[in-house]
Amino acid sequence: MAGQLQGERRSPKRGQSVEFADFRLYARGDDFRRIDWNAYARLERLFIKLFVEEEDLTVHLLVDTSRSMDWGQPNKLWYAVRAAGALGYVALVGLDRVTVTAFGEDANDSAGYFPPRRGKAQAQALFSFLQTLTARGRTDLAGRLRSYAALAAQPGPLLLFSDLLDESWAEGLRALARRGFEVTVMHILAPDEVDPQLTGDLKLRDVETGADIEITADYELLSRYRAGLAAWQAELRRFCGARGMHYVPVETTIPFEELLFAWLRQRGVLK
Amino acid sequence: MGFLAPGALALAAIVPVIVAMYLLKLRRTEQAVSSLYLWRRMVRDLEANAPWQRLRRNLLLILQLLFLGALILALARPFTWGSEASSGQVVILILDTSASMSAIDVPPSRLESAKALARQWVDSQPNSTRFTLITAGAGAQVLVASSQDRHQVHRALDGIQATAGGGDLAAAIELASAVAARQPDSLIVVLSDGRVSLPERLAVKGRLRYVPVGQSGQNQAISAMSLEPNAGGESSIAFVQVNNYGDAPARRRLDLYADGQLVNAFDLEIAPGDQSTVIADALPQGTQVVEAQLLGQDVLPLDDIAWAVYNDSGPTAVTLITEGNLFLETALSLLPGLQVTTVRPADLEEGWGDGQLSEGLPEGGDLLPQLSGPTDSMVSRLIIFDAYVPVAASLPSGNLLYIAPPRSTQYFTVTGTVEQPVPRPVDPEDPLLSHVNLAEVGILDAAHISLPDWARPVIVGYAGSEAVPLLLSGERDGRRIAVLAYDLRRTDMPLQVAFPLLLANLTAWLAPGSVGGLPTQVAPGAGVSLSVPPGIEEVGVTRPDGTGVSLVPGTGQLVFADTAKLGVYEIAWGQAERARFAVNFFSPQESQVQPAQVLPGLASGGDPRDESPQAARREWWRPLALVALALLAVEWLLYQRASVARLWGETRQLVRGKT
Repeated sequence: MAGQLQGERRSPKRGQSVEFADFRLYARGDDFRRIDWNAYARLERLFIKLFVEEEDLTVHLLVDTSRSMDWGQPNKLWYAVRAAGALGYVALVGLDRVTVTAFGEDANDSAGYFPPRRGKAQAQALFSFLQTLTARGRTDLAGRLRSYAALAAQPGPLLLFSDLLDESWAEGLRALARRGFEVTVMHILAPDEVDPQLTGDLKLRDVETGADIEITADYELLSRYRAGLAAWQAELRRFCGARGMHYVPVETTIPFEELLFAWLRQRGVLK
Repeated sequence: MGFLAPGALALAAIVPVIVAMYLLKLRRTEQAVSSLYLWRRMVRDLEANAPWQRLRRNLLLILQLLFLGALILALARPFTWGSEASSGQVVILILDTSASMSAIDVPPSRLESAKALARQWVDSQPNSTRFTLITAGAGAQVLVASSQDRHQVHRALDGIQATAGGGDLAAAIELASAVAARQPDSLIVVLSDGRVSLPERLAVKGRLRYVPVGQSGQNQAISAMSLEPNAGGESSIAFVQVNNYGDAPARRRLDLYADGQLVNAFDLEIAPGDQSTVIADALPQGTQVVEAQLLGQDVLPLDDIAWAVYNDSGPTAVTLITEGNLFLETALSLLPGLQVTTVRPADLEEGWGDGQLSEGLPEGGDLLPQLSGPTDSMVSRLIIFDAYVPVAASLPSGNLLYIAPPRSTQYFTVTGTVEQPVPRPVDPEDPLLSHVNLAEVGILDAAHISLPDWARPVIVGYAGSEAVPLLLSGERDGRRIAVLAYDLRRTDMPLQVAFPLLLANLTAWLAPGSVGGLPTQVAPGAGVSLSVPPGIEEVGVTRPDGTGVSLVPGTGQLVFADTAKLGVYEIAWGQAERARFAVNFFSPQESQVQPAQVLPGLASGGDPRDESPQAARREWWRPLALVALALLAVEWLLYQRASVARLWGETRQLVRGKT
């Protein structure tokens, strides 16, 4: 990942560090200081010694704050915010920039945006910002992600905290992948969504859109629901795998420590 | 098709109520969910078979409406008109089990097809019908009495078997009529071939329906048969009579077996309604059993076989004690099978000695040594006292005939004489008076005998207004006793034909031969009686099928009535005493198997000749109520299908988890 300031992460760029990377022939305009004189003495040709550049990164935390996230026991949004805070803190400690964007209805205003900041000292500000997040309105996942990908100054690691309960999730993730983000999808679902406890003839109302649908919740229908959910998650995993994204299905019943120290390490999100 | 309670159809007004309630009920409970995204994905799948889904959503309503419809229909009690059923609340089935019902013109037999008809009849009746089942065999027998249990009727029908005898349909109909008189609206169904004799006008209460069974009357039968030794005694002679009861000429072959060996065969051609007589006169001497078989097929196989037996009994010893009676001695000597010994009373009393008489009454055998006949082994069977009564009170075994007893004996009391009694038979049909004409008989005088309680009068004499017994007979102390009150020399009877006939009848009854009066021919089911000599403890009877039975005789008399099977029965007693009798199906009534389409001489009581098929209502509410119940069950299951399916799924998981 390329960054702006020198940091602790390896950069794809060649730069000034102690770690040798390669030689290349001198070209006009190169810094004289980087010519390898020992090589010149041996070979009478000018080589530039290349080092691995170590620089800082901007870690993008995207939190879905649509109303569908304010759901479940434990609450999905609450869970997403805690996860974002923890991972943001990890990034700050690692001398990376951290920026947080909430995907609410009016995410364009400043209330839903935490600009890139750097340094452990910014952790308190990050936490305060995260605590202000509330679920509002509906998500146009594709539009939001597309515009975020277009506007982001510096692509970098991107953590998306969302339930992806939107028709356009595929398009949005594709936009992020195209921009070159290193995407990790934290797919957060409440236990009620994984295994709904419903019976009887019901009219289901969407808390986000207000739309409704009539179902007769019987065993067969619920079995089909669970099968559909599993198929969807498999589809997501395939989709993400094909684009080099991490896909992490998270149920809010998983203890938070377990998520951080076992799950994410296991899946290579944290080192 | 109609309705017994059409008012119930008004209940159809409930239908719109159910529909309205269903429409109201369709407002579903609202349930908030985070997103419909996943639900929509699934519902898209569901909507692929939307028509079925829509139907399924309304399935409960449809089922409820169907249930209601079935219930209302059941309450309206629909019925249809059935042709075979009867509306009778009481059905009395009479099943003829006479031998002619064994005819096989309707396979497997008339009785079986009658049983099948009866079963159909029973099954076609409404459930409330009470059944009575009567069989008309040798007597009327009630197998099922006023029962609503069809299984019981079926079981009883299964157990019915044809008898080998006649059918007493009149008794059965009278019985049924008595049952019908108690219960109104009853129907008597007679399943018979109509080969029955009914009284002239049999009054029947209730409706009667006669269902004829059978098709053909083509039957030939052995109608009579006998076996006698030839006059010379060198051979035996058999007589067989075959009748053709059909309405077409018949050619049959008759095989004769003598003691199991085929000895003769005859080809018979018999015109319809005619008979053919066969006499086989060269049978081996001493033939005991002759079996006659009609070969070929007719509708009643039962009467195509017959047996005749001859019991070689030897002569019967008769002791005549007389001062001399030419008429009697001559008549006795002419009767066959008798060996007569004549003893004079003076000789008899000489043998006793005076002392013996005064000392009382020693054993009979010693008292009358002369009576033991020509050989010691031959016990006298008949003792005739002609105008003489022995002083001794005890007599040897044997039957007794007293003629003109001069004084009282231990058996009867003589109180004087009657002048010129006019003899009259008490019962002209009495076998003792068979062919005997008493009209021309004049009697000078007779002993006046007061009738003892063991005897019955056979001939009474009228002297003025008084009637005295002239001939009485009866049984006493294990012996047959007859008393003729008048002296043969003081009447003109010995000059008439009546005398030898009467004497022949009397000796036939009093001296029935050594086989103890056993008849050689017996009708099926009839009893035979046998006089058993004293001292016999046990008598064995072997049936035609080889099974035996052991009987203990009573006071010198044995009665055996288990003669339902056709064939030759053998009776054995004592050292080597054997006698046979044949049970034969000689019944012109039953052999004429042509079914009658109308019961002869039958008039139905209240509702005469109700023989037309009776149209009857058949109600349908039971199946409709069952359908309604089934619909209700299905509806409930469908309503609870979520729980049922969950239960099923969980059980399956549990089972899978365990395995």
